[in-house]
Amino acid sequence: MSEVVVEVRGLEHTYMRGTPMEAPSLKGVDFDVRRGETVALLGHTGCGKSTLVQHLNGLLRPQKGRVRVLEYDLNDPKVDVKALRRRVALLFQNPEAQLFERYVGDDVAFGPRQLGLSREEVRARVREALEAVGLGFEAFKDRLTFTLSGGEKRRVALAGVLALRPEILVLDEPLAGLDPAGRRHLVELIRRLKSEWGLTLILVSHDLEDVVLLADRCFVMADGRVVLSGTPREIFSQPPARLAEFGLQPPAVTAAVHALAEAGLGVRRDCLTVDEAVSEIARALGMGGKPWTSSSCCAT
Amino acid sequence: MDEFELLRYVTVGQYIPTGSLIHRLDPRFKLAAFAVLVGAVTFTGSYLGNAVLLVLIVGLVFLSRVPLRYVLSGLRPALPVLLLLAALQILLYTPDFTRGTNCTTLFQFWIIHSTTCGVKLAIVSAARFVELLMLTSLLTLTTTTTELTHGIERLFAPLQQRFNFPAHELALIVTITLRFVPTFAEELERIVKAQVSRGADLGQRGRLRFIQQTRALLPMLVPLFLGALRRAEELILAMEARCYMGGKGRTRLIELHSTRQDVVALFVAVLAAATVLLVPWPW
Repeated sequence: MSEVVVEVRGLEHTYMRGTPMEAPSLKGVDFDVRRGETVALLGHTGCGKSTLVQHLNGLLRPQKGRVRVLEYDLNDPKVDVKALRRRVALLFQNPEAQLFERYVGDDVAFGPRQLGLSREEVRARVREALEAVGLGFEAFKDRLTFTLSGGEKRRVALAGVLALRPEILVLDEPLAGLDPAGRRHLVELIRRLKSEWGLTLILVSHDLEDVVLLADRCFVMADGRVVLSGTPREIFSQPPARLAEFGLQPPAVTAAVHALAEAGLGVRRDCLTVDEAVSEIARALGMGGKPWTSSSCCAT
Repeated sequence: MDEFELLRYVTVGQYIPTGSLIHRLDPRFKLAAFAVLVGAVTFTGSYLGNAVLLVLIVGLVFLSRVPLRYVLSGLRPALPVLLLLAALQILLYTPDFTRGTNCTTLFQFWIIHSTTCGVKLAIVSAARFVELLMLTSLLTLTTTTTELTHGIERLFAPLQQRFNFPAHELALIVTITLRFVPTFAEELERIVKAQVSRGADLGQRGRLRFIQQTRALLPMLVPLFLGALRRAEELILAMEARCYMGGKGRTRLIELHSTRQDVVALFVAVLAAATVLLVPWPW
């Protein structure tokens, strides 16, 4: 097993502490991530997942409980958060709002320039980051940021944090507000970051969506606590009613196989993709033999 | 610890429902009383007068059941400006602004000329600032934006009839401004966090390198302004989509009714202002 890079114990956080608008957000969270792992944080809006991830690069400090990220102890008031933020990148929800330079290349170069790198090094990093998000360096570096589409802007923002060459990357709702094509593209991109860059990824999502399937482990949060954890397969195969209890909507595929199982068909309940569900249903109906896929069913 | 929790320090434009007597006042009377008290604060130049006003305002805060500590927390961001202002007044102000009392020179060197009047001005203007901020916070903390709009509109209605003064539009502008103060604080907080997360520095290197320091603010300012413009556009669209036409010929969902309480409140405010302004305070 590889080393534990994020360790959160009994973390509590209250917003607007000491004002009449006090709102408890985290009520004792335990959470850990190992190097190279992809972890998904799931939960309904307001369950505290965004608050939790803001502790990981020192934007928020623990009010109660312990947080350790890499070798940085966030409970220590003198910890070097600037150094921590270079190694742990956090991309907020709707990051296209954070672009501010006129040209794409300059915006991606913002982080590396802040690190005080040489011109050549900055250029190399911008090239690497833009190519990584699937935007050609030569084609995009001199484009005006405001002329980009929503999906392109989001990828530029992602390139902006990748240019810091972080070890841990936290993505808060990376798919929010994208069209289906943009979503597919981004899921593919995150898959590549995982396999080719070997990043430790923390994905935050309010929905059991495709990107969650990339995770090695999932944590479901509700009302400021971690209420469920396990592999995506374990989480997705929970009865829909139980997921609904935590404000999560099961994906259509899992809902369908659950309904079939309830109706008495002997299917496994942990199908994650349409393909899996199709072959599983075919098997249960005794139509086995050749492997079924959604593409083969739709082609004929 | 909460270096990024900006909203914590914005008390203007927030509303805290406690259902107190102050909350329940008719907004027209509340606004009028507020204006009278602001007038009193602005024209009181004596220590005692200001002390009386301060006590009165603190009393009002208690009556509103909004925690005093919360109202005062709004002062925190203004503290550096207050201190700078006080320093300038003490060091450079010479003429007598209270007429009648004599100024004694405390200290003189080059252009620095410190007098007792300067000291008095510094203390009085700091007190005024605190009083004004507390009053404004108190008004918005105890009045919903809808009530404010109705109040402003009704107070200016006679002017609209007489001089075609755009009372409704004015009320709308005031409402939108107040309503968006917390929103922008929230947005700024998000932007600052996002930029810090990708390596931005909040201008800590080189205290005297103003150009670099200003440049360091660009990553926060550009998105904030873009966001503000986008929000304005969305608001306009939403208003047009609902056929917003301004105040002409509009009837109200909520008719305001004044009670004896409101009249008494206004009377108390006028009385307090008159006392503070007319009594010749010894110092």
